[in-house]
Amino acid sequence: MLTSPLFLEIVLFPGLLSIAIIGALLGWLERKVTARVQLRIGPLYASPAGGILQMFADLIKLSFKELFVPENSDAFFFIMAPTTGLVLGAALVGLIPFAPGLQIANIEVGLPAFLAIITLSPTLILLAGWSANSKFPFIGGLRALFQQTAYEIPLWLSALGVIMMAGTMNLAQIVNAQTSGWFILPQALGAFIFLVTSVAEMERLPFDLPEAESEIMMGWQAEYPGVLFLAAQGPGFVKLYAFSALFSVMFLGGFLGPSFLPPLFWMLLKTLIVIVLIMLLRSTFPRVRLDQLLRAGWTTLLSLAILNIGITYLLVVGFPTL
Amino acid sequence: MTDLLFLAFAAVTIGAAILAIEARDLVYGAAALGIAFLGVAGLFFLLDAAYVGWFQIAVYIGAVVVLILFTVMLVGPKKGESPLGLKRVSLLAAMLVSLLLGMTGALANATAFPGPDSCGSGCDLSLFSTSLLKNYGVPLEFMSLVMAAAVIGALALSKTDRGQ
Amino acid sequence: MEPLSSFFGVSVILLGIGIYGLTTKRNAIRILFSVELIYNAANLNIIAFARLRNPPIVTGQVLVLFTIALAAMEAAVGLSIIILVSRLNADIDLSKLSKLKG
Repeated sequence: MLTSPLFLEIVLFPGLLSIAIIGALLGWLERKVTARVQLRIGPLYASPAGGILQMFADLIKLSFKELFVPENSDAFFFIMAPTTGLVLGAALVGLIPFAPGLQIANIEVGLPAFLAIITLSPTLILLAGWSANSKFPFIGGLRALFQQTAYEIPLWLSALGVIMMAGTMNLAQIVNAQTSGWFILPQALGAFIFLVTSVAEMERLPFDLPEAESEIMMGWQAEYPGVLFLAAQGPGFVKLYAFSALFSVMFLGGFLGPSFLPPLFWMLLKTLIVIVLIMLLRSTFPRVRLDQLLRAGWTTLLSLAILNIGITYLLVVGFPTL
Repeated sequence: MTDLLFLAFAAVTIGAAILAIEARDLVYGAAALGIAFLGVAGLFFLLDAAYVGWFQIAVYIGAVVVLILFTVMLVGPKKGESPLGLKRVSLLAAMLVSLLLGMTGALANATAFPGPDSCGSGCDLSLFSTSLLKNYGVPLEFMSLVMAAAVIGALALSKTDRGQ
Repeated sequence: MEPLSSFFGVSVILLGIGIYGLTTKRNAIRILFSVELIYNAANLNIIAFARLRNPPIVTGQVLVLFTIALAAMEAAVGLSIIILVSRLNADIDLSKLSKLKG
């Protein structure tokens, strides 16, 4: 049992250990990418190469800080909500096929399962924001709830376009259905909607109003000390990894690629490209205001998503003969 | 293996349901209700209804629990009833409920409904989806109308006349 | 595979807990909890009965899909009513709200 392939997959790759290391490396990558865009250098001193151990240094520093829970706050939810967010992120990565056969959970309804796990995150952020018993975290939690609920519907609808083209909800078979052409060309509108809504679901700039550093003091994460701060930030990076991997599975052909390199390499390359693209969005666009954000989610993106389903229907079924 | 899973899910569901009713703080009750929904979703997975299980997670825990939490936080802390105080009404209700449970349990003895054999080849999603869209397409459209009516109703109820 | 009567047992116990909460509690939101538990008990019962045949009777699963969506809508409308009542009365103790005045 201990050496069975499933156990090794869960613990090593693509499971818990690799999620932890990749999450830390993504933190470093984000700081490097934003620094280069802003003509800076970024983390440099945590050697050996370009400050790559910066996040591990941060982890060691934060574990020495005092771990307190604010007075009059609800200690149970204060600690439980971000740690459950980490569990959620790990469950998301477990659903994704990294190579033919390298998938922790190959279930028949893989794509709706991924999206259903994402719908659990507004609950956790609302609980985290409420439990700190302070104004700014609560406002941040409410903003996160509004934002994530508004962008869930275009997310599901853009995934519906992919399901219609592939004819299956199984993630490994969606990859196999792209051998004759990646879905990003016929589903260009769907890919754009999926990218925008997943950036909104992850609460990254330009949609990071719930944790706006200059506006409401880190929002719902304001009261988190020490290692719990990493527990509150960690799910963001794990979700970035999971969403980018899902984007490359759905639209960029997953692990398909010329066979002179292993399929796992192509999958990781495509995921990395999407991750860097999303990180570049952070340095380039200004923050969107809350009412603009909600209006865009409920009206513009929803109409575009329905239009996308209409276009996909015509592509799949063919023009109806009159 | 499935026996252990069933016992775990059933225990979690029933424990969380009792906690949801009896917890003094409403936020704890709402979180316990969410865990009870998760347990029911697990039981759905054990009964080979995978899509309905994920739908239950997405709708109940993802939407209904959030709505309840939001309402509880808006309405504010209420003192509620005395926790676990034995009043006469609750004793009577508990007796009636155990009577109900006992009668139903006696009616469904263990040999009446045999365990189903493991799901064969027809157990995949295509059966469910063709039935949903072919046989029940019209109720599906009616459902969307009912949903639109519910959304409009909820919006109309919560409108305040602020004289803007 | 677990005999189906154990699933019925769980569903009946959930129903009992829901009815107990519905009749004994006075806070409106707690009554909503109990109603949601009764919905879940009924859904579990339907899915368990749908599993009597092999392959499962799909009509049961479709019906549960509909009832899950309907229960969510009912919770939304019920919660907006509770918010409205609390705005008018500042108290959601249902045993005091039995008159339709005001």
